[in-house]
Amino acid sequence: MTSLVSVIPKLYQEYTTKTPKKLKIIDAYLLYVFLTAVIQFVYCCLVGTFPFNSFLSGFISTVSSFVLGVCLRLQVNPENKQEFQGLSAERGFADFIFAHLVLHIVVVNFIG
Amino acid sequence: MKLYLILGVFLCFSAAKAEQETLVLVDNLNIRETHSQFFKSLQDRGYSLTYKLADDANLVLAKYGEYLYKNLIIFAPSVLEFGGLIDTEAITKFIDDGGNLLMAGNAAAGDVYREIASECGFEMDEESAAVIDHFNYDASDDGDHTRIVVSPKNLINAPTIVGAQNTHPVLFEGTGLILDKDNSLVLPILTADSTAYSYNPKSQVKEYPHAVGRKTVLIAALQARNNARIVFSGSLFFFSDEAFNSAVSKVHGDKLKAESSGNKALAAHLSAWAFGERGRLRVRNVQHQRQGDKVSTNTYTITDTVVYRIEIEELKNGKWQPFEATDVQLEFVRIDPFIRTTLKRQPSGAYEAVFKVPDVWGVYQFKVDYDRVGYTRLYHSTQVSVRPLQHTQYERFIPSAYPYYVSAFSMMVGVFLFSFVFLYYKEETPKTKSE
Repeated sequence: MTSLVSVIPKLYQEYTTKTPKKLKIIDAYLLYVFLTAVIQFVYCCLVGTFPFNSFLSGFISTVSSFVLGVCLRLQVNPENKQEFQGLSAERGFADFIFAHLVLHIVVVNFIG
Repeated sequence: MKLYLILGVFLCFSAAKAEQETLVLVDNLNIRETHSQFFKSLQDRGYSLTYKLADDANLVLAKYGEYLYKNLIIFAPSVLEFGGLIDTEAITKFIDDGGNLLMAGNAAAGDVYREIASECGFEMDEESAAVIDHFNYDASDDGDHTRIVVSPKNLINAPTIVGAQNTHPVLFEGTGLILDKDNSLVLPILTADSTAYSYNPKSQVKEYPHAVGRKTVLIAALQARNNARIVFSGSLFFFSDEAFNSAVSKVHGDKLKAESSGNKALAAHLSAWAFGERGRLRVRNVQHQRQGDKVSTNTYTITDTVVYRIEIEELKNGKWQPFEATDVQLEFVRIDPFIRTTLKRQPSGAYEAVFKVPDVWGVYQFKVDYDRVGYTRLYHSTQVSVRPLQHTQYERFIPSAYPYYVSAFSMMVGVFLFSFVFLYYKEETPKTKSE
């Protein structure tokens, strides 16, 4: 227990100092997406699943956005340079935008 | 033009005539005299009768693949083998091709009769056996108690076959029949009383009789699946002038008495049914559409309201007239019936049902299967497809779904703003490094 208490401030400190600002921007975006998903899920639990397709598309849109965001974060992270040799951060971002285009077309189609 | 008209009229006549062509097979031409009233009643109703001896060497039913006759009457119990091209097989084929058969035998009927009977789902008693009833014989009986009096209560309850009013008792003298229990198409038209049995009247009863009591069927009928009709009477005497004219007086029991027997009326009704004058139905027209629509479609959407209309006609006095019944049902079937509803009769004579298509899509059939004793089997099915809602038919902008809409669009706006921030942001640390 004591170790956990000591770890959390250390983790926070490490994060604030060592993580590049660009990744922090992505993290802020991911937090926003995550909160939207949670709110939707709670709303669905309260109101019921009636327009199920709308719920699905809304929820899946947030989940996919989250996944895509995480993928972008992995590619942009300088520590993962080894993994993505030959793939620049710009290329990663372009992929991210393309995937989002496809995702939102599907979501709008399904939302009803 | 005129020529066509004449030709058309001629064709109509010949078609109507072909319906009435009847071949009468007798074992001696004397039967024309002894059964003249029955034949006369047929001729009066428009049948053209062709009398032939049953063992005539030139007998043919069909010529060049077409039947010369629509109906066949066999009044030839003593025949051992038919002449010409007629045999059991030919007669069975005649029935399979839709021909009607009226057949009457007696105690002396031979094996040919038994063969034809068993082809039709009846079983005839052994040779020289007759139906005996010691409690219900007629005064004119000669001592064997084989000329029995049968009450009209023993008739099958089917007005289309036997007529609505049968109050006179019937005279019968001949063999008994048993019906094949597994055959659902055979009908016992007239059964004997519970005191009757079938045995050779000249010999002592040593074995258990072939048919006993009410199981002894005197007149049986069959309507085949192709609507060919067969009436099989165990008694040729039943159709004779003697039976038609004689008074009935029962010796024992309730002393049933009547000025004249019911044979004449019953024989006329039976022949009329057998030769398709009565109890014939046909589908004239079938329509189905979405409620409110004018035109018929063969595609429906789930939960549509459908109007199904069928016109059924019955042959009455030689004319097709709207059929009247209250028990015609419609089924909407996709493997199993999803909807089964009674069709309501409209003032116009059509039957109509209005129902909601189930919330399950697939290939369905409208089925009308009307199978009643005495009527031709009516079967009509129409295939339609039921599809799910089209993309544009779903409900839009549902209030309770607004949070989902907002979330989906906020994801788009989010990624838009995020990309600006992400692209225009420059890390500060690398800058210092390069400097």
